[in-house]
Amino acid sequence: MEKSEKQAAAQQAVDILHEISTLLNCQLDRRTLSICISMIENGVKPEALAEVVQKLREEGRVLMADIEALAAKPNAARRK
Amino acid sequence: MASRQQDHRAQKISSAIDSLITHLIPENPYEDDHTAELRHDDYASAIKALLDQPSSSSYDADVNNASDLIKRKLIQGNPTQALRFSHLYTRLLSLPVLNQKWAILYFLYQLSDSPDPNEPLPLSPLAQQQQPHFDQQFQPQIQAQTPPPQLLRQPQQSAWAAEPRSPAYEEVQNEEVMEDAPSLEGSHNVPPERPRHGRDRGHTLTQSHQAGPASRDDNREVVHDPSEPALLRDLPFTLQGLSSATLPFLNDTTLKLPPTLPIPIISLLNTLAEPSLLYRGLNEFTKTPANGLLGQSLRAAISKELRSYLTLVATLETQIRRALSELDESAPRGGIGKTGVTLKRCVVWTREATMGLRLMSLIAEESKNKHGGQLITLIHSFSSSHGDPVVAAFAERLLVDVTRPFYDILRRWIYDGELLDPHMEFFVREQNPHDEERKDAKAKGQMSVWNSKYEIIDRMIPSIITENFSQKVFLIGKSLNFIRHNCGDHRWVEDYSKKASRELKYGDTATLEAWIDEAHKETMSHLMHLLNDQFRVFDHLEALKRYILLGQGDFIALLMESLAPNLDRPAGAQYRHTLTAQLEHAIRGSNAQYDDPEITNRLDARMLQLSHGDIGWDCFTLEYKIDAPVDVVVTEWGNRQYLKVFNFLWRIKRVEFALASTWRKCMTGARGVLQTSDGKVLQTWKSTRGVLAEMVHFVGQLQYYILFEVIESSWTELQKNIHKENCTLDDLITAHTKYLTSITHKGLLGAKRRQFPSSTADGSTAPSSTDDDRNSYMVQLSELLRTMLAYRDSVDGLYSWSVSDFTRRQGGLISSHHTRPTSTRDRADSQAASLADSMDLDPPYDSFDSTPGGEAGGVKSEFPALQDRLRQLGANFKTRLQILLGDLAYQPDVDMRFLGVSMNFNDVYQPVRRKGKSSTTAGAAASGGASGTGGQGQAGQGQAAKA
Repeated sequence: MEKSEKQAAAQQAVDILHEISTLLNCQLDRRTLSICISMIENGVKPEALAEVVQKLREEGRVLMADIEALAAKPNAARRK
Repeated sequence: MASRQQDHRAQKISSAIDSLITHLIPENPYEDDHTAELRHDDYASAIKALLDQPSSSSYDADVNNASDLIKRKLIQGNPTQALRFSHLYTRLLSLPVLNQKWAILYFLYQLSDSPDPNEPLPLSPLAQQQQPHFDQQFQPQIQAQTPPPQLLRQPQQSAWAAEPRSPAYEEVQNEEVMEDAPSLEGSHNVPPERPRHGRDRGHTLTQSHQAGPASRDDNREVVHDPSEPALLRDLPFTLQGLSSATLPFLNDTTLKLPPTLPIPIISLLNTLAEPSLLYRGLNEFTKTPANGLLGQSLRAAISKELRSYLTLVATLETQIRRALSELDESAPRGGIGKTGVTLKRCVVWTREATMGLRLMSLIAEESKNKHGGQLITLIHSFSSSHGDPVVAAFAERLLVDVTRPFYDILRRWIYDGELLDPHMEFFVREQNPHDEERKDAKAKGQMSVWNSKYEIIDRMIPSIITENFSQKVFLIGKSLNFIRHNCGDHRWVEDYSKKASRELKYGDTATLEAWIDEAHKETMSHLMHLLNDQFRVFDHLEALKRYILLGQGDFIALLMESLAPNLDRPAGAQYRHTLTAQLEHAIRGSNAQYDDPEITNRLDARMLQLSHGDIGWDCFTLEYKIDAPVDVVVTEWGNRQYLKVFNFLWRIKRVEFALASTWRKCMTGARGVLQTSDGKVLQTWKSTRGVLAEMVHFVGQLQYYILFEVIESSWTELQKNIHKENCTLDDLITAHTKYLTSITHKGLLGAKRRQFPSSTADGSTAPSSTDDDRNSYMVQLSELLRTMLAYRDSVDGLYSWSVSDFTRRQGGLISSHHTRPTSTRDRADSQAASLADSMDLDPPYDSFDSTPGGEAGGVKSEFPALQDRLRQLGANFKTRLQILLGDLAYQPDVDMRFLGVSMNFNDVYQPVRRKGKSSTTAGAAASGGASGTGGQGQAGQGQAAKA
């Protein structure tokens, strides 16, 4: 009983925070947000975490670009 | 226990890191599992390293006010979002689950305004330039790790990969990367303004990087003296018109700018100097004494606007103070570019205020020689015809305050009928009795309390009020004033003002007009009601028509009959008491006795003052007394017109009466004393009767024309006009004036161009030639009437002669039978008889035979002279009549032409047409006639005097 209540509260917290993040244009989806919240709750420094998220995003984007580039190039298949 | 918990936590964190990586880093389908795992591990370790860093000091100070930071940021971007955030924040605080709320918020804050992750990475040259310096050392390694195509992207990729290996270096760089990010994004994704604002206030560290492209150039700018901060510091004082160290005012209209400044700054300061100088000027203006209430209200309105300008300056000052306090001395140009307050910005902020000040000083300047309504017109012209909506709106606002005293005056005027205008600012004004024009009008007797107390000044009518409207306003006030002061109805006016009084204000013109219309209607109807019921204007008008315009026939006939013997005497022998007694008698004896005593009491008979030698007929007049409120309708001028018409009609009536009595005498005499066998005498009598009949016809036609064609038809017109719905007093006065004018005009009184000083200046003095031209009808008619009277005198003479002849013949008959001496007695008898016969006529004609009677030759000698005279007078009458008919035939007025036709219905007369006004023949004829009758008239007078 208590657990479900807590879960509901957590859910609500995530909702609110997600809304704030939308207000702030943070471009975080709910999953990322909840991961980050749990990390911060576990003592991770927010500043560092923000940095990490940004780095990871950048990396992801670079990777995506690469993937797309590879997909576009026919010789990509040869490497495999 | 603690360590286990820590382990647990570390485990949790690392699993979270794993999921984060998998969530954020897309899977590369071209990589084999091993590389992917390697990479994953790489990331994980890098993240761990990052997370384990000692916290930088920068956020420690801020952690507790993360929400404040967010709020401030949102306020700058969008205030409604800030509001929404505060709601969310309170809700978040009430939740029990999270322990690190501030940290989460701070985290979000750090991440705010991230680029959309779905968007492809911009191929920014800047980004490539930015990082090579620390990429180079790692390049080989990365080349080995990453597939060849990635070489293209090397810099970014390797930077990330390199980081874990050089933590110390990275710390510095990291900061830079992070802080640079927004600035880069700024140039691509979001308007440049936003990130700058966002960071300015909150994060001092970032300032140097976020100034935006514009501020980069600032570095090149020469630092000038005095510096911009110094100028900014002094600016509020300057804007308030106070001298300061850098910007001193030399005098009221000069501001000295420091000569050391570069031209752009000078031009900015020039722009800023405008409101300062205008403010100074206007401030001076508001202190000058005003010449009138509107002037005062204008000053008040201006100082109100100045106060709001000062509020603006105060706000500006606060901004400047804050900006200066946040100033970073080390930044280029004193960091002024980032504070958000610069001279340029001040110029923009004060621009609208400058417009207002400019307009006000224009108004202030022009108002100096404008007064009252003109002032309103001036401001209104800005609000109604200025193309710039800002100016129009400003003038409109000003107008509300400025017009307040005007509307106060207006209110007093239309609701109380009082003119409360000590400075002559209203468009209604009390008339100055010493004016030249006034004197002229007064001389004409057209003045009355109604139209000469107040006047409307056209140039003072403000343009917010239309012409028609102002007339209405004028009429309302005038009527109220009139009701109060002249009709003595205070109570109604007070009740009315209590009931109807409303606050009038500039703005809704339609409502205002409705109110004024209402007031107009009510006032007018009450005024007409008062005049009609209490002062009986209509009854008076009718009485005037009945008595003065001879409408009541029986009364006039009786009056004339009873007065005739009296009036035959010279003017000096007329006594007022006899006249009034006869008047009373006439009233009693006629239907006038049934009239209201209120009206008959006003009738008065009196003598006009005339020159010596006139007989009573010439100076008798009937008067109808008009008193206070009604005299606005029947003015002095109107009274004079009535008098004139009365005198004219009275004279015609008199001639008619005289002719009628002579005619009667002739008719009765024809059966007795006038019978004779002398053919010559018979012939003379015949022609005399013919001429007499002509005259009776003429007088009859004339009277009919004037009484019926002129007076009655004008009266019908008047009735129609004054019984119209919503007829005002002005309408009544106009209608009455029109009525009188049409009577005098059509009634051949010739009052077209000129009014007679007195209508009775007719008979005794020979008319001058100019009068002859102007009032030809009047002169002609009076000549005609005089001829008729002279003719009648002659007829009476002829009658007397006939009687004496008859007596002589009888006497002769007797003397032949009896003795001679009896003839004297007989003659005396016959004289007595003739006297008795002509008792109510002019002096008996026996003066002619003043020679001792009995001599037939003496008596006989009278006859040719009489015959001659009668012929001459008859011819004279005919000539004059023909001239008159000639004039009438070419009259523009149909009624007057018709008079000519009815007089000459069987073409007995040949109308003589006069060729133009100053034609010599006509003049000769007229003057010849005039001189002829003049002589006759004198002869007649001589006879009268002898009698």
